[in-house]
Amino acid sequence: MGLMTDRLPGLVERIPGGQILVTSIDAVLNWSRSNSLWPLAFGTKCCAIEMLMATGAAHQDLSRFGAEVARQSPRQADMMVVAGAIVKKMAPRMRMLYEQMAEPRYVIATGSCAISGGPFMYNSYSIVRGVDEVVPVDVYVPGCPPRPEAFFWGLMMLQKMIKQGESIARPGLRRKPVLAALPQGIAMEDIREEIRGLLEADNVIDVEKEAHNKVWADKVKVWMAKHLYKP
Amino acid sequence: MDGEALVQAVIGLGLGAEKREKADRPAVRVPADKLATAMKRLREDEALAFDMLLDHTAIDWLAAGTFELVYNLYSTVHGHYLMVAATVPRARPVVPTVSGLWDAAHWQEREVFDLFGVEYDGHPDLRRLFLEDDWQGFPLRKDYTDEDMLRLPK
Repeated sequence: MGLMTDRLPGLVERIPGGQILVTSIDAVLNWSRSNSLWPLAFGTKCCAIEMLMATGAAHQDLSRFGAEVARQSPRQADMMVVAGAIVKKMAPRMRMLYEQMAEPRYVIATGSCAISGGPFMYNSYSIVRGVDEVVPVDVYVPGCPPRPEAFFWGLMMLQKMIKQGESIARPGLRRKPVLAALPQGIAMEDIREEIRGLLEADNVIDVEKEAHNKVWADKVKVWMAKHLYKP
Repeated sequence: MDGEALVQAVIGLGLGAEKREKADRPAVRVPADKLATAMKRLREDEALAFDMLLDHTAIDWLAAGTFELVYNLYSTVHGHYLMVAATVPRARPVVPTVSGLWDAAHWQEREVFDLFGVEYDGHPDLRRLFLEDDWQGFPLRKDYTDEDMLRLPK
């Protein structure tokens, strides 16, 4: 997908005034990116038990988000979940894994250790105080460790960021990192409802309404009249 | 052999051992200069037969200016445990190696050297184990500090 982003402006430019096409492709690209976030199988501490194993198992079922295909190779991964503390000896290796991931790549920092160093912040000879000293982070998920619900909340935050974020006209544009703290009183059922809502908003088209929505068709007519139709 | 009898048996070997209080298993303290002999006896004595080194670590008693080296032994023959402690001065922490008696001591002693800076006389390959080869200092010493370390505010 990174390759497509790099080449697409060139392809699009051949169609004069291709704004309509560009916006559609943006939406489709961001939609597919946000729904196939393959995580890198990379866990450094106890958070990995929650983030990559518990959430990937049947009860919480990470695959509802299209993010269950944990890749062993950074070349095939889109998202790095930094689950656990990073020590000074690990930091260069982790940076190398990040560099090897294909663009667009996203980083979620889960748990106190990945966010700030957590309980090892003081008097430690080895801790990296926050992974954002090593790689850019998109979403912070606080907790020690975060519950799977909290991780899903952060993942949904990332999906929303992706959908609103990068476009072909401005590749590489990122929104600012967000702190995705799970609000009080949110349960698994609420997250399930939110996923259903998001999926419906993404995938269900009211055909009748769209048929009457002629805005885009009018734009095409205007464009055709302006550029092509020479009586 | 129960715990107290085991401790008395070790003391009875005449190696200068004495009982170490405040331990959750039978524990003796031996003088550092007799450590090699004592360990050899503990390993080879048929009534004791400590043929397994479970763990080796050190304690930094900064106020007393000593390192206490702790060896946890187990006998697969008799099924009893023993903790052997030896005290060395912080200024010159050198002890004889026990890697000739237990192969497990190779890496255990490298780890203690890595983190505490205790030197093992006669160890075949005393290099850093966990930290980078160019690391300065021994981080598990209580007075260790570096410029990157964040001190807990008082």
